[in-house]
Amino acid sequence: MVVKSDDNKIICRCEEVSLGTIKDIVHHFHCSSREVKLRTRAGMGYCGGRICRTIIEKVVQDINNEKVSNESQLSYRPPIRPVTFGQLGGSENDDES
Amino acid sequence: MSDLLIIGAGPAGLSAAIAAAEEGLSVTVIDEFPKAGGRLLGQLHQEPNGEWWNGIQKGEQLSQRAHQLGVTIQCEVSVYDISQSKNGWEVYTTRGEYKAEKLLLATGATESPIPVKGWTLPGVMTIGAAQIMGNVHRVKPGNSCIIIGANVLSMAIANELKLCGVNVKEIIIPKADITSNEAGNPEQVLSSLMRLTHLAPTPILRQLGKIGKMVHPKIAIRLFPKKGIRMFDIPLRLKTAALEIVGDRFATGVRTVNIKANGEIDHTSEKVVDADFVCIAGGLTPLSELASIIGCSFKYIPELGGHVPVHNEQMQTNIPGLYVAGNITGIESAKVAMAQGRVAGLAIAADITNDWEQMETSINKAIENVNITRDKALIQFHPGISDARKKFYQKSEVNLTQISKIKKREA
Ligand SMILES: Cc1cc2nc3c(=O)[nH]c(=O)nc-3n(C[C@H](O)[C@H](O)[C@H](O)COP(=O)(O)OP(=O)(O)OC[C@H]3O[C@@H](n4cnc5c(N)ncnc54)[C@H](O)[C@@H]3O)c2cc1C
Ligand code: FES
Repeated sequence: MVVKSDDNKIICRCEEVSLGTIKDIVHHFHCSSREVKLRTRAGMGYCGGRICRTIIEKVVQDINNEKVSNESQLSYRPPIRPVTFGQLGGSENDDES
Repeated sequence: MSDLLIIGAGPAGLSAAIAAAEEGLSVTVIDEFPKAGGRLLGQLHQEPNGEWWNGIQKGEQLSQRAHQLGVTIQCEVSVYDISQSKNGWEVYTTRGEYKAEKLLLATGATESPIPVKGWTLPGVMTIGAAQIMGNVHRVKPGNSCIIIGANVLSMAIANELKLCGVNVKEIIIPKADITSNEAGNPEQVLSSLMRLTHLAPTPILRQLGKIGKMVHPKIAIRLFPKKGIRMFDIPLRLKTAALEIVGDRFATGVRTVNIKANGEIDHTSEKVVDADFVCIAGGLTPLSELASIIGCSFKYIPELGGHVPVHNEQMQTNIPGLYVAGNITGIESAKVAMAQGRVAGLAIAADITNDWEQMETSINKAIENVNITRDKALIQFHPGISDARKKFYQKSEVNLTQISKIKKREA
């Protein structure tokens, strides 16, 4: 039932990756959601995948005919929120320099 | 260093703080939102007995009680990383580092998006964002709106938007495709609405619940009128699908089409319905990113909204010293989150004092209260929550301090 014209709809908003691109990559490389992420940057944007992660995983699972597993393939990595270098390094250290 | 650090000042986090502080623990609660209360802040609905559930008031009561007990609550603090040390936990935030012996994650839920063509246009938002704008910030997102996605949450918030003076033109469903799944299938949408309890928060849901006991959704959806049915005077149209959100520089409407019970599209019925803003309602899923970076095990349980960190009825995870409570453990109503928070607070007190025996009765009572609250819950986000929970806890692989102790005593 998937209408072709829908393939240009955006899935990863931060990195502007479309549904069509994700489908093409999965079909071409027969790959996992993790590989889709590494090949397209889908899920690696400013929001850290908070918006698109579940959709990417769902789409890839559907195409590959897989069941939802208990552990997610698209792992979370710190920092899970946008932070400044100052916050990461500690502002006290900034003052010293 | 506090005895207990709680991430999330929603109903679960605040209730846990109160229970733990009552047992004499020093407790700090942090939250990234400017105000304590979590998702309570957006909630306003009428219960079947006529009383209003006013989330803002409830949140204030909880914060006040926590303050009285000496709990420190700090807002606008985002946690971005956590590590475990010899004496407990180190939590890294946008306002520096926090240390605590025990850690409770009460981070709540997040919305699952449904990508509809055109959803990146300004003026398109999640249904939860519209709720926050209207009920928390008191800003009307626009004069008229269309909601894409028919579920308990969108129906509850549609009425809240109406109370804000928004003309909610219709609630429709997304077009069926690989990204919308069940949400785009009229029969499945109706079936999940029909399986909701008789206690559901809107009269129309209660009616659907009653009908659900008598007719199969397959038949019901065939009988469902094309024009939809009205709920608080808002048309609920399960046989209308959103093809695309239209607009040049911002959203101005939705291109819709009639669909049959099986999802088949009637292209001749295509039209554009104008609206100032468009809401997408894809449902809720536990916000468990912090549990994931700490290394908790997870289990996929659709009835609970997706992946939940493995935990037991005492709210302990498989990582010693790490607890969870509220919607991070599964999507349920605020009252259940509060009841779970109390269990976590008491269990953590027992853990710190290492006196499970002394606390056993009160913990068990609190667990019993979670079950009672769950059975009486007005809003059930998914059907089958109670059974899924029971199965999950029976099989729980988390081997707990107190459980092993109790067993030993019994032997
Ligand atoms: C959009 C939406 C609408 C809802 N509407 C209803 C409703 O009408 N009725 C109902 O009964 N239930 C509703 N719910 C369900 C709701 O989740 C529960 O009612 C209840 O609020 C859950 O409580 P909680 O304490 O688990 O989480 P929440 O109330 O969500 O509180 C979690 C808190 O954790 C904070 N947090 C999360 N991550 C971090 C971090 N990394 N750093 C710092 N702070 C963090 C958040 O800012 C938030 O304040 C809704 C949920 C959502 C998402
Ligand atoms: S939407 Fe994909 S990373 Fe933000």
